[in-house]
Order: sequence, then C-alpha cells, then structure tokens
Amino acid sequence: MSIMDKINNLDRRIIYLLAWIFVLYPLIFPLGLPIPISSDARAWHSYVENNIHDGDTVIFAPMYGTSGMPELFPMTVATMKHILEKDVKFVVLSFWTEGPLVFNALLRQVDPADYGKVYGVDWINLGYIPGSETAMGALATSFQNSVANDYVERRPLSDFPIMENIYTATDIDLIISFETGTPGAPEWLRQWNTAYGVNIIVGCIGVSVPGMIPYVTSGQISALMPGLTVSAEYELLLQKPGLAVAGVDAVSTSHLLIVLLVVIGNIAFFMTKEEEK
Amino acid sequence: MVEMIAAWTAVFFTLGIYSLLYRENPWYRIAESVYLGVAVGYGVSVDLLYIRNQWTGQWNDSAGMMLLFAIVLFIGILWYGRFNKSTFFLYRWPLAIVVGTGIGLALRTVIDAQFLQQIASQVRTPFYVAGNMGATINNILVQIMVPSVLLYFWFTGTARESAPMKVVEKIARYTMMAGFGSAYGYTVLTRYSLFIGRSQFLLGIPPNDPENQLAFWIIAFIMLASMIGWDMTHKKAPVA
Amino acid sequence: MKMGEVLKRIEIPIALTIIATLLQVLPYYFDIPALSSVASTTTNAVLLIVAYATFVGVISILLVHGKRVQRRSEGWHFSILVVVFVAIMVLTGLPLQEFGLGTNNSIFNWIFTYILTPLGGTTYSILAFFITSAAVRAFKARNIEAAIVLVSGTLMVMGNAPIFTNSVPVLADISLWIRNIPNMATMRGVMIGAALGAVALAVRTLMGIERGYLRGGGGDE
Repeated sequence: MSIMDKINNLDRRIIYLLAWIFVLYPLIFPLGLPIPISSDARAWHSYVENNIHDGDTVIFAPMYGTSGMPELFPMTVATMKHILEKDVKFVVLSFWTEGPLVFNALLRQVDPADYGKVYGVDWINLGYIPGSETAMGALATSFQNSVANDYVERRPLSDFPIMENIYTATDIDLIISFETGTPGAPEWLRQWNTAYGVNIIVGCIGVSVPGMIPYVTSGQISALMPGLTVSAEYELLLQKPGLAVAGVDAVSTSHLLIVLLVVIGNIAFFMTKEEEK
Repeated sequence: MVEMIAAWTAVFFTLGIYSLLYRENPWYRIAESVYLGVAVGYGVSVDLLYIRNQWTGQWNDSAGMMLLFAIVLFIGILWYGRFNKSTFFLYRWPLAIVVGTGIGLALRTVIDAQFLQQIASQVRTPFYVAGNMGATINNILVQIMVPSVLLYFWFTGTARESAPMKVVEKIARYTMMAGFGSAYGYTVLTRYSLFIGRSQFLLGIPPNDPENQLAFWIIAFIMLASMIGWDMTHKKAPVA
Repeated sequence: MKMGEVLKRIEIPIALTIIATLLQVLPYYFDIPALSSVASTTTNAVLLIVAYATFVGVISILLVHGKRVQRRSEGWHFSILVVVFVAIMVLTGLPLQEFGLGTNNSIFNWIFTYILTPLGGTTYSILAFFITSAAVRAFKARNIEAAIVLVSGTLMVMGNAPIFTNSVPVLADISLWIRNIPNMATMRGVMIGAALGAVALAVRTLMGIERGYLRGGGGDE
C-alpha cells in the first residue's frame, strides 16, 4: 500500500488523537501568539462604547445553554463588564431554558454590585420565559403580563423601581443578544426591531454567522460578534483578557491542523488519481 | 471533599461523551443516558416554575382571569390526548392554537424583516462608489450574485435550459459554493471553540477548578485502558 | 352524526389555527383596541398552553425506557439511569420553594452545574473531531465546484486563526470578503426565498390546505 493509500485509509482515531494534541498542547504550554484586532471587534467595541448612552435601558439576553457556553460565555462576560461601566439600566432575560443558569455562572465572575449597581434599581433578572417567538411577541406588548415575578427574589415586578418605567418594547433602547440558534436574531428582528424599532446587537457562534451577515449589511443588526476569536480581540480592546484570549492559541493550532489535513488529503487524492491514470 | 466529588463527576461525564471517539462503549452510554434524563427533567422544572409564577401574576387578578386560567389549563391537558389513539384528536386542538399563534406572529413582520428590508438594502447598494474601486467591484458583484441565486431557486427544471439561464445557473452555483466554504470555515471555528472550552475545563485552567486536571488524566487512563483491554481480550479468532 | 364524530373532524383544529393566526395579524394592521386586548391575552394564554405540554416529553421517555426495563431489552440498564435522573430532576425542581424545592434546590443546582453543564458542552463539541476527520477524508477538489468550496473554506479557516492572519494579514481581508460578498449574496438569496416560502406556507395554512402539522395518530383527515 502506498503512502497515499495509507493517508486515504487512515484510522480516524489517529486523526482524533492529533486533534487532542493540537488543542491541548497550546493550552498547557501557551504560545503567546499575537492577536490582530479585526474590524468586527472594533465595531462591537465602538457600538457599546458610543451608542449606549447613560440613562439607556438595555435588554441583556443570554440566549444559549450549556452547549454554547464555551464559545459565547467569554463574549457575554466581556460585554457585561463593558456595560457595567456605563450608567445604564439592564434587564436580564432569556427565551432559552438554560439562559438563567448561564447568567448565574456569569454572576460568579462579574458582580454588578462591584460596579455600584443595585438589584431592582439598576438591573433586574426576569429569568426564562417559555414560548419562543410567541413569548418574544408577548413580552414586547407587556412585560408585566408576560412575566409575573423576577427570577432572583420571586417578587412581583411592581416591587422593583427599575420596572416603573419599563412596560413595553418602546421602553427599551437596545437588545444585546448572545445566541446559538432559535429563538434568536430573526425572531428578535421580527418581534422587536421591525415591529417597534428597537436596535439589536448580536453575539453568535460561528455557525450562525453566515446567516447573520445579510442582516448586518442591511443595518437591521447594528453590530455582530462572530465567535471566539473576535471575543478575544474584544477582551484585548477592553484590556481585560479572559477566557477567550486564553483559548485563542488553541484556535490557531487547531485551524493549522485542519489546513494541513486538507492539503495532505488533497495531495493524496490527486496523486492517487495520477497513479490510476 | 464535596468539591472533589463535584470535579470528578463533571470530568467523568465529559470524558464519557468523548469516549465515543474510540468506539461505542458503556461509558458513553452511561453519559448519554444521564444527559437525556437530566435535560428532560430540567426542562420540566423551569416550565412548572413559569406556570406557578404566572398564576401569582395577572391570572388571579379577577374572577374572569381565574376562569380563563382554568380554561387554559383544560386546553393544556388536551396535549396528553396524544398518548391514546382514541383521544389523539384532542391533541390537535392546543397544537392548532399554538401553531396558529406562531404563524400569525411571524407572518405579520416576516415580509418586512426578511424580504422588504433585504430588497431595500440590495436596491440601495450603488453600482459605483466614487474613489473606491474595490467597493465598486464588490457592489457590482453583489448586484450580479444575489439575483442569480434568486433566479436559480425560482426557476428549476426545463426553465434552466435557456442560454441566459445557463449563465445565471453557473454564477449562482459558484456563488453558493463560495458561500458554503464560508459556512465551513465558521463551522470549524465553532466546533473547535466548544472543544477548546471543554479542554480548558479538563485541564483546570482558571476559572475552572484545578482539581479537574488530575481527574482528567486518571479517568481518561481508566476509560482508555478498559476499552483497549476489552478489545484485546475479546479479539475475534480468525476464520479458518 | 354523533357528538364524538363531530369533535374528531379535522375542520375544528384548522378553524382554531385560522382564528389564532388572524388574532395576531389583524391587530397589527388595524387599530382596534378590543381586538388588541384579546390578542394580547391570547398570546399570554398560549405561553401557558406551551408550558403545560412540559410533561409530554417525560411521559414519552417513561413509556419508551420503562418498556425497555420491563422487557429487559438491549441496554435496559441504561434506561434505568434515564428514568432515575428524570425523576430526581423533576422532584427536586418542583416549584415548591416553601419546601426547599425548585430551581434553587441544592441537589437540582448541583446536578445542573456538575452533570448537565459538562454533558451539554461536550456533546456539541465532539463534532470538532468529525469535522477534522472529514477534512482529510472527504474534503477533496473533485470538480470545479468542490474546488471552490475547498478554497473558500480553507481561506476562511485561515482567516479565523491568528497564526495565519499575523503572518499573512491579507488572509483576514480575503476571509472577510468571502463572508461579506459571496456568502452574503447566497444568504440574502436564500433569506428572500425562505421569506416567500414562509408566507406561502402561512397562506396555505390559513386556507386549510396545509395540514402536515396535524398529522399522526391515524385520525380523521
């Protein structure tokens, strides 16, 4: 059997082992590769810095579960740290069942109280609202009818000063949504952006990025954070390196492996074709 | 001690899923079964909490709302008609209401959000950008590619046999192939990002528990050794 | 015709679908306060109806896995695990905060944090290995179109990795171009087509022609 045949018939477990090595090595022995800052990171940073004004009310929506945490959690934490430095009120909610528990994980890393934010006055957590797009539509028409109690203290919304001026979608200035699928940006756009003109910025996993680009190009989504690499760049712009920066070396080596395997596989393919001729 | 059990449990289930990479095995089946049970149970809990919270909200404000809540509860019970052939028809009623509401909510704005706005953006794209040849070329490409893709989907079969449509078809297919390549690139990023996150967990890289790393090496060794050992002791004898 | 036969007719759920749809669409285009109020209440009612379906999954699982245990079918030991963990999560997660149960219950939270979270994150990450295997075995330039996918995909992969964009900065620009031009064109075309398809499907559903969502159970159609 020629070398090319061996490559074509390689035991896939060897490939899996290579994947483990290419990912674990830079995590154990960090390479410290420089990270160039992309236009996506600058656009997100600029939007949060310049387009969220003091006094604004923002929806902060971790629309993902445990499956999306490795890729979305770093950008969620970094963005939360960024908006906590501003004098804005924010409402945390999710239309994904695990969203509230993702936010609880965030609270273990970022405490709004450290930034002088008081629960119920500066921010509130409404938890999970079942019903997908229907729930989004219902929330837009009435917060109080869609959500009876807050998630943390289980008290009526009317008990909290922050909710005195939040009744419908028109009372919200911006939606910051981190998402892995449905419900997500298209549903936000249909129920909040198109219907009520609420601006939206979206952080999403890489797989969702191609589908978001038409919305970005048309201006329906004001800024996009596409995946882990750009999260790392954003952390550097904030001068708060975190989980994303720690993982980017591994992104580099893993992608290097993919490129090498594609090249090797195609060389083997063409050489096998030549031999057959 | 409690933290140690927690760390080792989390690592065990993580590696249980990854053990599938070697082959189908009992470690994986354990992890998969537990995942199914916990995920379903978790979903039930958050739904029940929502129902209870809703009752303490607008639904017990007045007698009328309480009656409505009872009616909604009755409709909700009809879901469970699906488990019996003679009552299956009842399952369709709440389904019809939910589907109809969902269609209505989407229908009223889908035309604007995903049709008109996209067409407006396309029409607003200028063919010529003064002083920027790159943007001009890109815009011309977009003005050619988008209609080509649309025509490719709208006209199928014999409608594609005309000479102009053959050109359109080629442009559309090459455009879509390049687009799919983009999707592949981002898929690689996502899947590896998820794997990197799990690897950071297994190696105990902060903010993950450093105890994880010890658990990782030991449990991985035990799982691999058990599977390889099983394979070696249960090798099939060659057929005579 | 007996009452039971009337209730089984497919026209009833179709009528419910049409009414529910119109109840959402009409208030959006016509300013009728009474209708808007009814629509809003209906939407909130639907959220509850959706939540009430929560036990459908549990019952399905208990039926499937319970039967497996009962018959000692292949893998029945694992079915015991499924049933046990469903029971633990449902019981500890019952919304009875007065009795220490609910989403703040320590056992519930422990299982979520140390079992569900690692399992959820790992299950989707395993695809990374299959993509890697496919890169060497399946991702071949067999013809022009495959070559285009291969080249654009490889450039995209390189554009997402700092190890490449540091050494060859133009790769970042190229991958952005692929994303913002051919990918955008593809996705825009697909999106417009899908929007038209969604409208067509909605109109067919409103007319009672589309009944796929009501199938099953061997009922009257």
